[in-house]
Amino acid sequence: MMYNPIMFAVYIHIPFCRTRCAYCDFVSDAIAGGVPDEYVAAVCREMSAFEGPDTAGSVYFGGGTPSLLTPAQVARMLATARRRFCLDAAEITLEANPDDLSRAKLEAWRDAGVNRLSIGVQSFDDDVLRYLGRRHNAAAAQRACEWVAESFENWSLDLIFGAHPVDRWAATLEQARALAPPHVSAYGLTYEAGTPFEQRSADAVDDEAWLALYQQTEEALPGYDHYEISNYAMPGRASRHNLVYWHNEAYAGFGTAAYSFVAGVRARNLLRTRDYLERPGVKAESLVLTEAEVRVETLIQHFRLREGLSTEAYARRFGRRIEDDFGTALDSLKARGLLAEANGRLFPTREGFCLNNEIGLALVGS
Amino acid sequence: MSWTQEKIRNFCIIAHIDHGKSTLADRLLQMTGTVDMRNLKEQTLDTMDIERERGITIKAVSVQMRYTAEDGQEYLLHLIDTPGHVDFSYEVSRSLAACEGALLLVDAAQGVQAQTLANAYKAVDQSLEIIPVINKVDLASADVDGARRQIEEVIGLDASDAILTSAKTGLGAREVLEAIVKRVPHPKGHPDDPLRALIYDAKYNTYRGVIVYVRVVDGMMKAGQRVMMMSTGTKYEITEVGIFTPEMQPKPELGTGEVGYLICNIKTLVDTKVGDTVTDAVNPAPKPLPGYEEVKPVVFCGMYPAVTTDYNELRDALDKLKLNDASFEYKADSSDALGLGFRLGFLGLLHMEIIQERLEREFDLTIVATMPNVAYRVTKSNGDIIVIEKASQMPDQAEIDQVEEPYIEADILCPTEYVSAVIELCKKKRGQHVNVTYIDARRCMVVYHIPLAEIVIDFYDKLKSYTRGYGSLDYRLIGYRAGELVKLDILLNDEPVDALSTIVHRDNAQYVGRALAQKLRKLIPRQQFEVAIQAAINRRIIVRETVKAVRKNVTAKCYGGDITRKRKLLEKQKEGKKRMKQVGTVEVPQEAFMALLKVNEESER
Repeated sequence: MMYNPIMFAVYIHIPFCRTRCAYCDFVSDAIAGGVPDEYVAAVCREMSAFEGPDTAGSVYFGGGTPSLLTPAQVARMLATARRRFCLDAAEITLEANPDDLSRAKLEAWRDAGVNRLSIGVQSFDDDVLRYLGRRHNAAAAQRACEWVAESFENWSLDLIFGAHPVDRWAATLEQARALAPPHVSAYGLTYEAGTPFEQRSADAVDDEAWLALYQQTEEALPGYDHYEISNYAMPGRASRHNLVYWHNEAYAGFGTAAYSFVAGVRARNLLRTRDYLERPGVKAESLVLTEAEVRVETLIQHFRLREGLSTEAYARRFGRRIEDDFGTALDSLKARGLLAEANGRLFPTREGFCLNNEIGLALVGS
Repeated sequence: MSWTQEKIRNFCIIAHIDHGKSTLADRLLQMTGTVDMRNLKEQTLDTMDIERERGITIKAVSVQMRYTAEDGQEYLLHLIDTPGHVDFSYEVSRSLAACEGALLLVDAAQGVQAQTLANAYKAVDQSLEIIPVINKVDLASADVDGARRQIEEVIGLDASDAILTSAKTGLGAREVLEAIVKRVPHPKGHPDDPLRALIYDAKYNTYRGVIVYVRVVDGMMKAGQRVMMMSTGTKYEITEVGIFTPEMQPKPELGTGEVGYLICNIKTLVDTKVGDTVTDAVNPAPKPLPGYEEVKPVVFCGMYPAVTTDYNELRDALDKLKLNDASFEYKADSSDALGLGFRLGFLGLLHMEIIQERLEREFDLTIVATMPNVAYRVTKSNGDIIVIEKASQMPDQAEIDQVEEPYIEADILCPTEYVSAVIELCKKKRGQHVNVTYIDARRCMVVYHIPLAEIVIDFYDKLKSYTRGYGSLDYRLIGYRAGELVKLDILLNDEPVDALSTIVHRDNAQYVGRALAQKLRKLIPRQQFEVAIQAAINRRIIVRETVKAVRKNVTAKCYGGDITRKRKLLEKQKEGKKRMKQVGTVEVPQEAFMALLKVNEESER
């Protein structure tokens, strides 16, 4: 029996930033002005020509800096998306930098169809913001969040920990909580290879300090469901878009370097914007995954989620028993206290969250 | 046509690595028309990959040449190429025994090296006619007089008529051939006596079985003849005899004094002993040729499949290797830490490396090898004497009366400015001073008695670094000597790991224990739980190191295409994990079992 995905998602990459953040490894070019209309047109062309599912439960403008888009540009892309996909009741998210925001802009985006806003605050501490190389300061971030909360019922606040001493992280968390965002993403700072931050990896906090900051985050956000390793949501406010990734469902990515996963093929658009503009939709890489690879990736992704994976859902999706495919690895992960099983679901323990890569390591090649 | 002994010359070339032996051999082959220029590039006397890579000769290769000398007569010349490493000194001695003469090839720029010296002495001992040849005389750095003086002073040979050559350009090659004809004595065997042929090497061929390399000393041999190996009494029927050109070329017979091969349905090399005498089965010689010895391994190590399920493949691979290298020994063994595997014995460290490399290269196996060690002789309090080939066999301290270890006499040749460095190294390696001789104004011979255990670890590399590459070493076993030796155990999470145990001198035990534990702390990756590493002497813990537990190993973000990239990364890590051994609950990388070697390296810094 064919497996029917629960939800299909659309991702639109906006690979432009005013300045590059030193820790970021996403594909993006620094530009002085706004997003070129030429780029918006290329994305629309790519979207119109897309072959695949016709209904999408989510559209996500990610970056880069999607808040560089004018409301008209957002409206244009969403109009194209609506011609290509049925977007009834879709979650439509736009990522924004605090310093790009104004009340008027937020409302114009909302009127263009955006119904969820994700704001990249990272910290309410000026020293930390400077360390991260962000353009905004804490006061601007606070003001921007207040405007977002006025215009959007559904919004998310991004934070980064690991660059703060413990007490100052507490202050940032407190300030975030006071804003009552429906969703919080709190990422441990990663000193990615290939970014300027790689040079600073000596600054990285040790495991014990990391754990303390992680625990502090959980404790500072009571009433939120810690539904994924780095994500917290009020009831019903989990990111539907990101759940598509974590459920290893299909999605289409449009724009420079965007990934797609459609019909078992993981593909990526051309990596440089000037190449993409000439040939939108042409793939830089395209990998047909074997079913076994999809199974492993599906497990690894589900085990990022508190809810984990139901054995019945696995059987329905793959027509196989999870014990037959991964029995030994799962038993050993349970014995190591990284996974637990209850009510027909396998899910990561708290330790399993912190040692998530160990789970993945046990699952690959088994 | 059968050759009279008067027209036969059997010789070898004694040379240090890189002094031009293969090039000179190629010149001789070319000049005698044995191999034409076109084929010369492909022709090489070193046939194994490992030999070519390391620039050494492990297996002897032979070739027959016909040469019309200036006297107008045609001569039959047999070149017997000898192995060039100290691990194979017995094989060298048998190759020398098959010859009447030797070319002593010395690099005009580098002079006489210890290895050359050792082999030259062996040749002198066997009364070979030695023809000094000074090579690379066309180099700007050539010091012909210096080389000549060294040959005279160091080896004690008259070098006034040394032949000057450049194997590269061909200079002097004709003179070398003439000297072989004029100066090397012809064989003086007894054609009418019963057959006696010396086995100086043997090779295994998948299609033909064992090919036995022989020098006919007395009588003759031919296909169809029934022969007997004198050391074992085993009888065979010869199916083929022939010569090397250097390819095998069958001949109706091999006469007295000739060098060639015989094939007689021998299935494994184990049945063919280098140094043994082949005689006629019907009319055997009363006495074998002198000099036969049973070669015994002196260095031992454990080899285990990295993946437990590869045990059978490892066994099959060892069986196959044994077919063409009879000089290593192996027996099934098991280790609590490493599971089922084998205990192997080798002629030396290079020999060990060769076998391990061949297992990995030719059989695609991943091997976990334990630290090499020597055999110890333990006298127990009850008077029993046992020989132990691995540290874990060491009896309890209370039951031990005395432990003895093998010693070698090391001859180290080095420029005078490095003498004090060499002596320092020898002292560090528990050596006992024998003497230091100044050979000439520039060079010295340092003689020390050193425990073999110290040599097998890293002595040779150390010597090279202490002398900037100028020191050379030769050694021979001189027997067992008692020492204050103790067993050093390593415990991981309170469990002793047998494969990490080692025998050390009491004076070094503290230091080695500490250094080893520290090294292991760096080598053993962090795991989900804390790993305690302890070193113990006679069950007394002398040091503890801790590998802290991994508390966090997580990727903060995983969106879009990240998952496939991440899966591939995890798969690569998993591949790396396969090279780890699960010891109890602890994952130990292969390098850990060789950590002692690293300890020694670091103690030098």
